[in-house]
Amino acid sequence: MKKFLKTLIPIELAKGLLLTGKRFGQVLFSANRRKVKLHVVQEYPEVVAKVQPRFRGRLQLIKDEQGELKCVCCMLCVKACPTNAIQIIAGKKEGRKTRIPTSYDFELERCVFCGFCVESCTFGAISLNHQFELAVYNREDLSLGLGGVFQSIDKPSPVAKFSYSGEE
Amino acid sequence: MFKSQEMEINMGPQHPSTHGVLRLKLRLDGETVKHCYPVIGYLHRGVEKICENKAFFQGQVWTDRMDYCSAISNNLGWAEAIEKLFGITVPRRARYLRTMLNELNRLNSHLLWLATHAMDIGALTVFLYCFRDREKVLDVFEAFCGSRLTTSAMRIGGLLEDIPEGFEKMVKDTLTDIREGMLEYETLLSENRIWLKRTVGIARLSADDCLAYGVTGPLLRAAGVAYDIRKAHPYAAYDEMKFEVPTKTEADTYARYLVRLEEMRQSISIVEQCLGGLPEGPIMAKLPKTLKSEVGEVYHPTEAPKGEIGYYLVSEKGGVNPYRFHIRTPGFLNLQAIPLMVQDALVADVIAAIGTLDVVLGEIDR
Repeated sequence: MKKFLKTLIPIELAKGLLLTGKRFGQVLFSANRRKVKLHVVQEYPEVVAKVQPRFRGRLQLIKDEQGELKCVCCMLCVKACPTNAIQIIAGKKEGRKTRIPTSYDFELERCVFCGFCVESCTFGAISLNHQFELAVYNREDLSLGLGGVFQSIDKPSPVAKFSYSGEE
Repeated sequence: MFKSQEMEINMGPQHPSTHGVLRLKLRLDGETVKHCYPVIGYLHRGVEKICENKAFFQGQVWTDRMDYCSAISNNLGWAEAIEKLFGITVPRRARYLRTMLNELNRLNSHLLWLATHAMDIGALTVFLYCFRDREKVLDVFEAFCGSRLTTSAMRIGGLLEDIPEGFEKMVKDTLTDIREGMLEYETLLSENRIWLKRTVGIARLSADDCLAYGVTGPLLRAAGVAYDIRKAHPYAAYDEMKFEVPTKTEADTYARYLVRLEEMRQSISIVEQCLGGLPEGPIMAKLPKTLKSEVGEVYHPTEAPKGEIGYYLVSEKGGVNPYRFHIRTPGFLNLQAIPLMVQDALVADVIAAIGTLDVVLGEIDR
């Protein structure tokens, strides 16, 4: 009976509240001393999301000023790719000394976004752009090529509307 | 009418607090664990075998995906193992930057550990605070190497790129935020009565058992053995850094919590030392165009946030890929101590034991 009565007196509760109050007081005067903005949420779909300049997004072929592909089919990116995501068939074009890819197949579903292909390219012909919204409805849409069915390797992705794409 | 019998139940592989696809076969007597049998392999990808069939430099992308919470530590160990194999000397600036990134990664990993461990036990606020601060560390990684989780930050012989503009200020701000944040976590947990009830004396693992099972990292240091590879076998630029190896002797979950928090403080100090004394110079060693190996073998241990991660490489003459590639991951060896830790404990303590082990199934299954 005495034990039961003892449980009615909230000693433990008082101890806990004391600790909470002590700690709360400590943090109240020490937290956010640098007066940084507490609003850390990005309103992402409404506001375009910015990524860091070195961000590695989807692979994209770069064109020069005349609108021609810079790629000369040296196949270094094919060799560098750890997951064999790139396949190139080289071709020729009139009025151009170097070779030009007739097809540049890129399997987005196999890409690991390591950036080894961009690193290996000595002509600056490919880059990983800043797009990160790469989800599609059909699996076939992840096979990219020149003049692809849904998205093309030499243009930014049409689905990534809210991700910042730096160079286009 | 009532009968008592031992019951065998599965915890996981789809259980929210087993951190991935860990499956524990528990034999229970009421609520007491009589036997615990961890089942692994649900995330097996064959990383070692894949790396044996790829060129030396390509193996890095799989080390990212082993322990995906501490990708840079994995990258660092991998890069240094291959540099050891080929006898490459890394420039001093690159070594400093590697050390800095590795310590930031330790902060990242420990923050994630604290977040999930506290959430499993029931402190949801800590989870949110830790993720708020971890986000900043991930932003630093993104600024440095372009990726947040699967970094691929290292290159054989150094680093790919030097630090970007405004990087030092970014790191300093991050460190200030984490230091202030750590005060908040400690306020929420260190004297919290519920936290103490759930962690003090739970999942004990003595120093002898640790050594017998090959358990490394914070678990070993919380048992009183001051073994840290950064001190014992210095790599990168750790021989030029001043830091302490925190130890505790209680060997329980609470001691591991204190050890990891102290490690985070040491990491902040190391990052500051790296930033303060960052030497000028190149960041990439001169390398031959293609790496052709001679006959040799090498084992290189490094201190990942979870313990010793060692890369064992065997190379053959004229090979462009390793003949044998083996990884000693800390999680795998730490996990085998779990039956000992939860013997005759309650089911709720199994959750605490999983949390304190800091399991990431990506590196255990590989």
